[in-house]
Amino acid sequence: MEMFETAVKVLRNNLADAILELTVPRPRKAYILLKPERHRDAVSLILKHVEDAELSTISGVDLGNEIELNYHMACGGTVTLKNRVSREKPVTRTITDILPGANLYEREVFDLLGVTFEGHPNLERLMLPENWPKGDYPLRRDWEPPTNPENESYSEETLQTESAVEQDDADSIVNIVMGPQHPVLHEPERFTFKVDGETVVDAEMRLGYVHRGIEKAAERMMYFQDVFLVERICGICNAAHTTVFCQAVEDIGNIETPSRALYLRTIIHELNRVHSHLLLLGVAGHLLGFEALFQHVWRDREPIMDMVEQITGNRLMSGFNTIGGVRRDITPSSIEKTLKTVKAVRKRAAFYKNVFEEDATLRLRTEGVGVLSKDDALKFCVVGPVLRGSGVASDVRKDDPYAAYGEIPFNVICYKECDTWARLMVRVEEVLESLDIIEYALGHLPSGRLRVRVQRKIPEGEAVNRVEAPRGELIHYVKSDGTAYPYRVKVRSPTLANLVSFPEIIRGSYIADIPSVIGSFDPCFSCTDRMVFLDAQNGKKWRWSLDEVNDQKP
Amino acid sequence: MALDLIFIVRTLVFPGFLFLLVLVLFFDWLERKIAARFQNRMGPSYTGPFGILQPIADYIKLFSKEDITPKQTNKLLFVAAPILAFSLFVFALFFIPIDGSNVILGSSFEGDLILVLLLVTLANFGIFLSGWASLNPYSGIGATRVLTQFLGYDIPLIILALGPAFLARSLSIVDITASQTLPFALVMPWCCVLFFLVLQAELEKTPFDIPHAETEIVGGYETEYSGRKLAFIKLSEDFQFLIGASLVTVLFLGGAHGPVLFGMPELWHVFWFMVKTIGVVFLLEYIGNVAARLRIDQVVNGNWELLIPLSVLSLALTVIVEPLLRLVIG
Repeated sequence: MEMFETAVKVLRNNLADAILELTVPRPRKAYILLKPERHRDAVSLILKHVEDAELSTISGVDLGNEIELNYHMACGGTVTLKNRVSREKPVTRTITDILPGANLYEREVFDLLGVTFEGHPNLERLMLPENWPKGDYPLRRDWEPPTNPENESYSEETLQTESAVEQDDADSIVNIVMGPQHPVLHEPERFTFKVDGETVVDAEMRLGYVHRGIEKAAERMMYFQDVFLVERICGICNAAHTTVFCQAVEDIGNIETPSRALYLRTIIHELNRVHSHLLLLGVAGHLLGFEALFQHVWRDREPIMDMVEQITGNRLMSGFNTIGGVRRDITPSSIEKTLKTVKAVRKRAAFYKNVFEEDATLRLRTEGVGVLSKDDALKFCVVGPVLRGSGVASDVRKDDPYAAYGEIPFNVICYKECDTWARLMVRVEEVLESLDIIEYALGHLPSGRLRVRVQRKIPEGEAVNRVEAPRGELIHYVKSDGTAYPYRVKVRSPTLANLVSFPEIIRGSYIADIPSVIGSFDPCFSCTDRMVFLDAQNGKKWRWSLDEVNDQKP
Repeated sequence: MALDLIFIVRTLVFPGFLFLLVLVLFFDWLERKIAARFQNRMGPSYTGPFGILQPIADYIKLFSKEDITPKQTNKLLFVAAPILAFSLFVFALFFIPIDGSNVILGSSFEGDLILVLLLVTLANFGIFLSGWASLNPYSGIGATRVLTQFLGYDIPLIILALGPAFLARSLSIVDITASQTLPFALVMPWCCVLFFLVLQAELEKTPFDIPHAETEIVGGYETEYSGRKLAFIKLSEDFQFLIGASLVTVLFLGGAHGPVLFGMPELWHVFWFMVKTIGVVFLLEYIGNVAARLRIDQVVNGNWELLIPLSVLSLALTVIVEPLLRLVIG
């Protein structure tokens, strides 16, 4: 919390000439409008003076004749630095030289809003397919999805697909393509690894296989409908997405959420975290070839799923949060059952902690593998268990408390080993910690109303809000123009933040380490690829006849 | 004529090809059931009683599937390699005395232990070739992993197999089993334990299942295979598993020998052989289910730095304490 005040003070003192407007409408949230092209100074100032500061994301907003770039800096709270560029000639300077972690965020803005960042090392498409028409930017306000995609003159260039084997200059180097379909990935995404024997020389990745255009779609739906839309960004961490979206809207509308609702949100959020972490630990077992561990962990995850169903009525998509509170109350019998389950699962989680600590083969495979040093972690702006596994005790629940976390005692788990093992251990211990939080919240559940009635129209304003999703810091930025429809919704899921560092980590490792390192990041690609409207109809390049597929030369 | 009939029946039906096939399918089922129970699952349970017919169903399915030969492969090698591997494994099993004597009567000779080990090695070359001929990066990596791992672990395996041979003063498998009045596992446990470990690596079971680590290289050497050819590869793997388990049985557990209570001794031989082999399979599965997969560098280092010196030491120990051991086995 002091970090946030330092950041604001430093900017106010050292950059007074560049600040056009500075508001702090809510605790730990500052919005600073800068003179054009001064964002680099502001970012460097924050990085220099605030320890463990990171860039959360860059959200671009089309204001009509200008495009506003919001650099959300995470430093205790969120300092949003606004840099406006003209819409006709949208060019600005990159900040990747100051903060390499901005790489993907700048590419995303370039891809979807058409802002060019001068000096960016590889300003290429991130989300849109290669044959998307040039000069067509779906997140600009005047962009309309084609009504009849079949008639649109989409470029016929076929997508360059790399074949599985590609000889490089050096004879011994082979390209190994993992994805879009590969047993290590549970969602479609493509990684290309250059390998020399068993060693990985380089890695590239291509995102965007599961675009659903949720950000654009959110602008066309009313706020209360959007709650259900953002819930579908990710099934596993649905409670995190709805919580953060509702909080952002509540911030804009100055809506007081009843404290019972805050506690219930916390409980569902933590149940989400427990089953998400258990899922990942099971997957890690599978990725490391430890099938027995995989099966056992997943079986122990089931009672948690049952509890979510008991409390919310749904096993996965809880549909629990809404703007102004929650939609369902918890019954005394559910409380009792949940407490019983928590006790049983804690026993099992303690056992798994022991397994991860003691098992020789697991440690052989994870220790010293995929090392991400503390400095690199901060440089690449990674979040969540990956960051905490690299020795930075950063947790939104502690740094920027939301819901009921300000009142609940818990520890931030942090490991200093910086390797795959540390990242897994962080999750094992967080399961235990989460179970304690659930128990505490159930024991201290305040009485009172579940929700307050909220108008459909939300007053003009903007809000950025963060929560600690199971995979790390999740940030939503919502801008309202006073109607019932949001002007802009921007989502940055934790996986996108973590992916930047992946190619750096994997260089020099063995092929066998790829699955365990990918696994320890707990990637969730459907969270990551959500911004673009892509009609399946105009995905022409995917439709190859069988003969054409067979003709693809090796 | 009568002799020929016995020869044909023994080769094709019992204890030859058909019996071995049934045995292999049974062990396939057993292996899956044990693994499933370790993993808190049901395992096969629908086809036949306790799902015992599941492997047959699987093979029938595989044999009836479309059989694709990718264009860029070396066709001859691609087709021949799985068949070669399969035949060599079956041939090797003919020298294991399941009912007390070899499948082909009187084919036992001084040195057939070496022959069996040689056939297994050659068959693994077949498996390597199958991956190499696929011209697929996953298969290629899988194939090189087979070679790196298998060839490395073949050395300690052969050295350790010499222990029982030394004690029995014979290189014939039938003689080795016959001389075990007390199972060699009890006489020289150090050798038996090491043999178990090395065997786990030879059979490519977890933690040594690196050549077909699916989360890394999809199917490994068998990635490009489908239909009948895949069935042959899978059958080869099953046969190799049976050979591995029965090698432990014959070398360390007294093979088919055991108390004969009544009736035909041959049937009792088969019974004891099965009981012992099931025990071995259980142990192999146990190891496979309490460990994570190792990495190729760890496995290779573990072999050259640990297992080869240890196996040489264990052989040396056997030689040194041989007079003592001879007192024990009488």
